[in-house]
Amino acid sequence: MPGTGPHLSWTRALVRRATPFAAIAAIFAVQALAAAPPVVAFPLYLTVILLVAMQRPRAESIAVSVAAAAAVLLVPAMGGQASDFAPAVLLAAVLVGVAAAMSELTRHSREAAAEARRRLNDVAAADRLLRATLETTTVGLGLADFEGSWTLVNEPLAAILGRRRDDLTRTPLRELIAQSDRPAFDEALGMIRGGDIVRWAADVDQLRPDGSRVPVAIHIARVPSSATAEPSLLVQETDISDRKRADALQGCLAAMRQVIAPSLNVESAMPQLLEAFCGYLGWTLAEHWAVDADHGAMRQRNASSLSSPLLEAFVLAGRGLKATSGSGLIGRAWQAGVVAAEEDIEKAVDFERLDAAQGAGLRSAAAFPIVDAGEVTGVVLLMSETARRMSDEEVTTLAAAGVEIGQFIRRAETAQALRRSEADHRAIYERSPIGIARISSGGELLEANPSLLNMLEHDEETMRATTWPDLLRAYDQAASRLQRPPFLAGVSDGSSVQVRASTGGGSWLWLQLTATSIPDSSGAPEHVLVMVEDVTAVRETSDRLAEALDAQREANSNLEKLDRTKSEFLSIVSHEFRTALTGIQGFSELIRDGGLEPDEVRAYGGYIFNDADRVNRLIGDMLDLDRMESGRMTMRTGDVDINEVLSEAISRAAPATVTVEFKSDLDPRLPIVAGDRDRLIQVVSNLVNNAVKYSPEGGTATLASRLEGHFALISVSDTGIGIPPDEIGHVFERFRRVRSGAAQSIPGTGLGLTIVKQIVEMHGGKIWVESAVGHGSSFHFTIPLAPEAANAMHLRHG
Amino acid sequence: MAEASGSNGTRVFTVLVADDNEVAQRLCKRVLEKAGYGVLIAADGLQAVDAALHQKPSMILMDVAMPGIDGLEAMRRIKAEIPAMPIVIASAHSMASDRERFLAAGADNVLSKPFRLADLLSIVQQLASRP
Repeated sequence: MPGTGPHLSWTRALVRRATPFAAIAAIFAVQALAAAPPVVAFPLYLTVILLVAMQRPRAESIAVSVAAAAAVLLVPAMGGQASDFAPAVLLAAVLVGVAAAMSELTRHSREAAAEARRRLNDVAAADRLLRATLETTTVGLGLADFEGSWTLVNEPLAAILGRRRDDLTRTPLRELIAQSDRPAFDEALGMIRGGDIVRWAADVDQLRPDGSRVPVAIHIARVPSSATAEPSLLVQETDISDRKRADALQGCLAAMRQVIAPSLNVESAMPQLLEAFCGYLGWTLAEHWAVDADHGAMRQRNASSLSSPLLEAFVLAGRGLKATSGSGLIGRAWQAGVVAAEEDIEKAVDFERLDAAQGAGLRSAAAFPIVDAGEVTGVVLLMSETARRMSDEEVTTLAAAGVEIGQFIRRAETAQALRRSEADHRAIYERSPIGIARISSGGELLEANPSLLNMLEHDEETMRATTWPDLLRAYDQAASRLQRPPFLAGVSDGSSVQVRASTGGGSWLWLQLTATSIPDSSGAPEHVLVMVEDVTAVRETSDRLAEALDAQREANSNLEKLDRTKSEFLSIVSHEFRTALTGIQGFSELIRDGGLEPDEVRAYGGYIFNDADRVNRLIGDMLDLDRMESGRMTMRTGDVDINEVLSEAISRAAPATVTVEFKSDLDPRLPIVAGDRDRLIQVVSNLVNNAVKYSPEGGTATLASRLEGHFALISVSDTGIGIPPDEIGHVFERFRRVRSGAAQSIPGTGLGLTIVKQIVEMHGGKIWVESAVGHGSSFHFTIPLAPEAANAMHLRHG
Repeated sequence: MAEASGSNGTRVFTVLVADDNEVAQRLCKRVLEKAGYGVLIAADGLQAVDAALHQKPSMILMDVAMPGIDGLEAMRRIKAEIPAMPIVIASAHSMASDRERFLAAGADNVLSKPFRLADLLSIVQQLASRP
């Protein structure tokens, strides 16, 4: 019942409080009834008071003692005897005093007990907290003595070390430290024991029962001794595998970049990269596979260094293999372009070289692609002796590594191609037989190759200062002649011009300059490359060829002209012959047929004779002319007295000529000339005959001679019909007889003047004619003086 | 018009001989007259044209190489006036191509120099007997 508790307790408390009073009352009653002295009852009262004082609060024990005192005092007071009252008062005071003192004492002892109890509670709580903390923290904690024997280990510590707690407790701390870290641990422990240090922190590897290592951050602190305990060691450990792994990944990337950054050579860098994957990430071996030239398959290119013949056998087994896209671990990484891994290669259906791998003790494999511009160009295969599951971080790191390696390979290949091309260009530049100059866009010489310097026999300094500017000017002049832009205005077309240039050795060359402007990355002309070729020989050859061609052309044209002249000549000659033969044949036919008068026969015979004579002369003239023109006529040159020749011509012609009067106007001091006398007579008689032929009756033919410098000048003038202006230019041509008017009946071969001209020119003289129609003509010609005569003249005049 | 005519009043077949060579002139005149033809002489091309137009010969025996205008030009001018005038070119240009050239220029016949007298007479006879 709900109301019962407090009610009962209240009742009980009342009973408890009432009990001492009842006891005192009982004692008093017994004493009073027995009329015993108070001294007898006193020990009883005292007992009650002591009991109350020990158990009850102070007020209650005082109240009880007062009640007891009153009981002690009551009998003597009622007796009224003063002698009895005094000891009673004493007894009462004792009772009250005892109660007070006892009560105080009890209070003190009670408080002390409470304090002790509270303290004990606190310790228990602290102990609980400590234990809870020990068991719930992720940090491994343990207490060990100075010898390293565990007194306490928590569960996390056991978990880190891969042991059960009790098992761990039995294993000394030192044995848990990896062999490699023990010296450091021993030293640290010694220093802690010696009090040199109070705590030691380090990253060490610890051993698990399976032999594997776990990296931990260990912290050992000295716990001071207490009254109950020896000084001990507080050992705190944290598993830093994750941090170590992250560090390893970072380290691997850093090492890889350190290899890649300064290198431009894939072949030398790749083994180092593979070593980095093994060294930092704990893979047993690594292989580089690269796509073939034909992109059909991947082949093994490099492998990391190998520690055992079995591993070597594994790598060797891969030498002849071709990995194709999509098949095998390598092929899968290739096809997918992402990291592929096999924690247990035995379970992989398509792992190549499984036997070799197992033989070498390899258990896990991973392959990551080398990617360049989204294309897989190779794969790195990683093999591990221990089974390993790749963390996400490692996968990410390897993927990133693949991209960086891909970029590196491309960069290296580009650089190599560039180096090769640069080397090629350099070789061309240095060794080309063609002169090459690099010219700035401002026209200055930047560089000239050895060929150019050799060609022009200048050093580079002179080339830059004078020779090149000269060439540039020559280029512009040549370009302007060809109506091309000048050098600096735009020479991107690679056009050539040829210029003349002098060399340092003083000779002259023909140079062909071919300029090509090289644009910079923005397309603006950055510099100009000029090829300089010595085309002197070509030019000279071509000049000679051109001359030869011209000569040939002229010869051809002469031949053609000759041919034309020849057939023209033939036509004219045959016409002349046939004309002459017409009379000869016709009249001789008449004579043959008979029936003619003697006069007729005589006359016809005269016609026949004349024409026959003419044919004969024609033949003679033609042969003469032919000999002269072909150079086959030999001149019998000697000293000739021109005046004598002229006089003889007159004396020979005059008797036969009655119609024309001859005059002579000869210079008596005319020196001897050098000539062929017979030919000179032929010239003069021809001209004289012409003068006579073309002069009307009563005309005059005048022969004159005089000195003209180193020549004798001879003139044959007539007062004849003259030569029309349109014909005067042709009188010395063959068969160019003046036909018009009265001349038409004058006989001649038409070759006379042509022959005359030839003879004069063969002597080194000249012939020309002056004429006026109706007034006559003057033929003048010159013949050089004989050498001794010319010298004499020279002396005379000098 | 001065028509060439024979002494008996009947019209005589007259040949105009145009040639700058005197020997040829004399030869033709002698041969043709002896055969009974009338003969007129012209010493160059212009004379030939003049004689042809004014003296109306029955035919012309025309040399080619003559001073002034040559025989072919003279023939062209004559034929322009009197297309029916028979003209025989008598030339010492006597290659085959020359013969073709003269015929193409309008000559009625061609006589190569030197010639047999019978050939000359035959050609003239041929033209004289033409209706």
